[in-house]
Amino acid sequence: MTNAAVSSKDPRLAGWTYGPPSAEHWDEAFDASGHPRPHWRRLAASLRRMGAQEFSHRWDAGQRLIQANGVTYNVYGDPRGTARPWPMDLVPLALDGDEWTRIEQAVVQRATLLNAILADLYGPQRLVGGGLIPAELVFGNPSFLRPCHGIVPPKGVFLHSYAADLARAPNGDWWVIADRTQAPSGAGYAIENRMVSARTLPLVLDQCRVEPLHGFFEATINALFTLAPPKGREPRVVVMTAGPNSETYFEHSFFARQWDFPLVSGDDLTVRDGHVYLKTLAGLNPVDVILRRLDDEYCDPLELRGDSLLGVPGLLQAVRAGNVSVANALGSGLVESPALMAFLPALSRHLLGESLRMPSVATWWCGQDAPRQQVLSRLEHLVIKPTFPRFGQYSEFPASMQVAERQDLAARVEANPARFVAQEQVDLSTTPTHTHRGLEARHVVLRVIAGWNGTSYAVLPGGLARVATGRKSIVVSMQSGGGSKDTWVLGRPRTDVPDLRTPAPRTDYVTSTELSSRMADNLFWLGRYAERLDASARLTRVLLTGLSGEPDLRRDDAVDTSAHYLRGLDLLPKEHRHPSVRQWWTFQRLLTDMTLDSQSATSIGWNLAQVRRLSWEVKERLSPDTWRVLQQITGLFSEPAPGNYDRRVVAALARLDDVVIMLSAFAGLLAENPTRGHGWRFLAIGRRLERAAQVLELLRVGVAQAPYPDDPYLEVLLQVADSSTTYRSRYLTAIRTRYVLELLYADDGNPRSVAFQLAALADLIEGLPRHERDAAAAQTPESTLARNLVRFIGTAAIDDLKRRDADQTRPALDAHLREIKAGVANLAGAIAARYLSHSVTSRLRAI
Amino acid sequence: MRYKTRHVTRYRYEATVSQCHSEVRLAPRHLAWQRVLESSIQTEPEAASFQDHADYFGNDVTSFTILESHDVFTTTATSLVQVDERPAVTDGGMAWETVRQDLAGHARPDLLKAFEFSLSSPFVPCDPALADYARISFTTGRPIADASMDLMRRIHGDFRYEPKTTSVDTPLIEAFRSRRGVCQDFAHVMVGALRSLGLAARYVSGYLRSGALVGAEASHAWVAVFVPGAGWLELDPTNNVRPGIGHVTLAWGRDYGDVTPVKGIALGGGQQIVEVEVRVEPA
Repeated sequence: MTNAAVSSKDPRLAGWTYGPPSAEHWDEAFDASGHPRPHWRRLAASLRRMGAQEFSHRWDAGQRLIQANGVTYNVYGDPRGTARPWPMDLVPLALDGDEWTRIEQAVVQRATLLNAILADLYGPQRLVGGGLIPAELVFGNPSFLRPCHGIVPPKGVFLHSYAADLARAPNGDWWVIADRTQAPSGAGYAIENRMVSARTLPLVLDQCRVEPLHGFFEATINALFTLAPPKGREPRVVVMTAGPNSETYFEHSFFARQWDFPLVSGDDLTVRDGHVYLKTLAGLNPVDVILRRLDDEYCDPLELRGDSLLGVPGLLQAVRAGNVSVANALGSGLVESPALMAFLPALSRHLLGESLRMPSVATWWCGQDAPRQQVLSRLEHLVIKPTFPRFGQYSEFPASMQVAERQDLAARVEANPARFVAQEQVDLSTTPTHTHRGLEARHVVLRVIAGWNGTSYAVLPGGLARVATGRKSIVVSMQSGGGSKDTWVLGRPRTDVPDLRTPAPRTDYVTSTELSSRMADNLFWLGRYAERLDASARLTRVLLTGLSGEPDLRRDDAVDTSAHYLRGLDLLPKEHRHPSVRQWWTFQRLLTDMTLDSQSATSIGWNLAQVRRLSWEVKERLSPDTWRVLQQITGLFSEPAPGNYDRRVVAALARLDDVVIMLSAFAGLLAENPTRGHGWRFLAIGRRLERAAQVLELLRVGVAQAPYPDDPYLEVLLQVADSSTTYRSRYLTAIRTRYVLELLYADDGNPRSVAFQLAALADLIEGLPRHERDAAAAQTPESTLARNLVRFIGTAAIDDLKRRDADQTRPALDAHLREIKAGVANLAGAIAARYLSHSVTSRLRAI
Repeated sequence: MRYKTRHVTRYRYEATVSQCHSEVRLAPRHLAWQRVLESSIQTEPEAASFQDHADYFGNDVTSFTILESHDVFTTTATSLVQVDERPAVTDGGMAWETVRQDLAGHARPDLLKAFEFSLSSPFVPCDPALADYARISFTTGRPIADASMDLMRRIHGDFRYEPKTTSVDTPLIEAFRSRRGVCQDFAHVMVGALRSLGLAARYVSGYLRSGALVGAEASHAWVAVFVPGAGWLELDPTNNVRPGIGHVTLAWGRDYGDVTPVKGIALGGGQQIVEVEVRVEPA
């Protein structure tokens, strides 16, 4: 093997260029002479056979897959406020199996050590008394949670999961640069990266005999169950998140779905008599293990952080009583301080009787005199970090500071020495990364993830590689826009675990029995907003199409009908109300703007934003296909709209068509859902209620308030309700008010009619769980309300209702429709009050 | 001296509360000079369950949950407690700088335990301005007890006792600058001043015998400073006295946050009005 893989002379390999790695850094793939390292040879050969162009296609396919799967990362303070697609580079980071074994051993040792340190600090504190850990690093550490002192977690496991960030020095040795002990993220992203590799580079993955990731999850999740307090039944595990705005919400949702654990936020749980329960529609279900994905301080607003209401009040009481296990244990953030690294070698010898297998980056805690003097004497070579990092505190780099700045930093260190840590600046290794210019070297940091497996720690054989954005950049952080890579461990003998290609298929996404009240509420509103979006898109489409026809009489009619509908539905801006602006082009522009301006508070933009928000809240409850359809709908409007007027009209019509079709796909997927659980039921109830309300509004404006003659208004109504064809095939006649009312109001066989919605609602409500208090009653109050509405429609005398008054209006119909609309609103309120009501938490004032 | 204590805390809510989790530190501590003969906590509405445990600082904590809907929540703590004279805490002329040095080295278990109280805490951050203020009393070589008592006397003289000018959320440094507040602020300022010099100081919550001194109508707060080899010297800057048989001790910690008498998280509630009533009478 020569360095052919990096040659740009071979035309077949055009694009496969990789600049000679800089001598100051270790390159993961190529040695100093430009030859692929032995463990990269097979991979390099596979990629060479594929060719750069084909690889680019695969790369693009990978990006589409990430988009479709909704793999995202939330960036704090991002003005766009949206989840960014997960940045993944398809070129993997390959590591040699023997080297990996050494990394694995080092990370297992470190997890074991940090766990032992936590056990001491939350117990007898002998390490502090013995001088192995400076007292200030414990007692002055805001992450030392005093209410957790004295609590021994089941089997003594404080750290169920642990992650170490590793960097490789120019001589090829690895260093630990950070420890993550709260709720380390990365495993979910790593597995997602592997799925993208498997789907886009299946042959390469196979040829390189990449070590599979699956066994790790099997082992650590099984071990999680053994942490449950013994209660003589299958333990119930929940994943606790701070919500869709969390940095790594994707991963929370991913874990929940992967293992069928309910994804909960603090207010889904409640503590009763020292036990934790999940609030579900069917009542309270006991919880045994909480896999927390938020920092421990935020887990119990009563005993922990006093300025936040996140979490579960009383949780600590339940933990103290031994009735619930939290993984990682509350308080485990204590050992994340970088200052601790300075003391780990001695701690390892003392606690484990072993020397540390992998060094930490050289670290000095300035709270001690001798190290501080050393630091101040060579400040410009070091990175200065806060001892107890809080949000908004960052590392400082004296090397790039002006003299005055450096003096200021030195003065701050002298004034509060204990608050500062100094570390050697690490020269990160580089690895080939795909860019639009071909392969380029990027600095890389490897996150290695360990999980407790019941007796010791297992290590995810791969981890998550993160690369810097630019060629020169040494800041590797997802928060600052870096990328990620799948990590391939090569050349170790296979164990007998099955390969992980795709997650185990689940069919009952919307139906899982454990439905929290909050989730039911979100599904209910997702149904309502999706239907509201459908109604406004359909109406806008019909009106805009009418206005964009040939310049004939019908177009003038279209101006009148548009004005009438928009005004009747309260969508007509003031400046469009005067008859002088009733030109077809002003209305065309208005409707186009309403469709394309996602910022404006028009019905389409607003409803779309709500659908987007709610789809994230319920992600793990939807099937992947349903989720993708919703993503496509909301994605339609994220592309910038054209500026040219003519093109705007065309774009608006095309988007409206797409929305309507995709919402039909959404409805179709729901209808095809094999099982009818409560989640599905709430989504359906939301849709039916909303559709009833929307059709009632259209009937009120389009029939009850329509001027004489009403044919053009009825035509719009039939089109919006997708019933023109039905009408023609059934009545074979010109449009008549009576028939329209029959079809869209009273006909319980037409899926767009009011009667149909109410009959469906009555059936759906029958299937809702009953509370104990109405077990005896034949019908719940909601059920009675729904049945009464169905009866009310059945007895409506259409001929009387359609009659016009002397002044040509239809007051009887108007009043009738208003009455039934009030009944529908009443029913919605009753359902919400019984199943979906929420109270806002408050803190008792301290005095 | 034997007292009957009665401490009523009442919350009136704007909106109905459906559920409330609460923890209270309202039982007097068992101490060498303080015997708790009876102690009870009652709530209205009645709590579904009570659980007791000792917190990190050894204070008795009672946790409970109220599951009944309510607009008013009342907790009543009563006790019968015998308070005797505290043992004398003498410094034997030990200079405050020696104490600071001993604490910094914390080579003995008692020093290590006290060291924790020399660091910044959530309500009491160390501050150069507080250190400057303290240094007027802490002159070179001055014995720690003498200097601490001088600091107490100065705080009592410099600060005005003015209820309702501060709340529990008023940052310490603000109360320090405005030179006014309630017993909580007096205690926090003194604790902060001592810590800013590298000394160890506790925040103590308790009651005063009714009628005699300032701060008896609600729960009271004072300070204890660590004197190596002798223990904790208590000082009440609100009244410029050394606590004696008129001071009933409830709990201690680093600051108010560690010993808050009544804490709670309510489901519902909205705006609230709090009323507190404390009676401490000879029994």
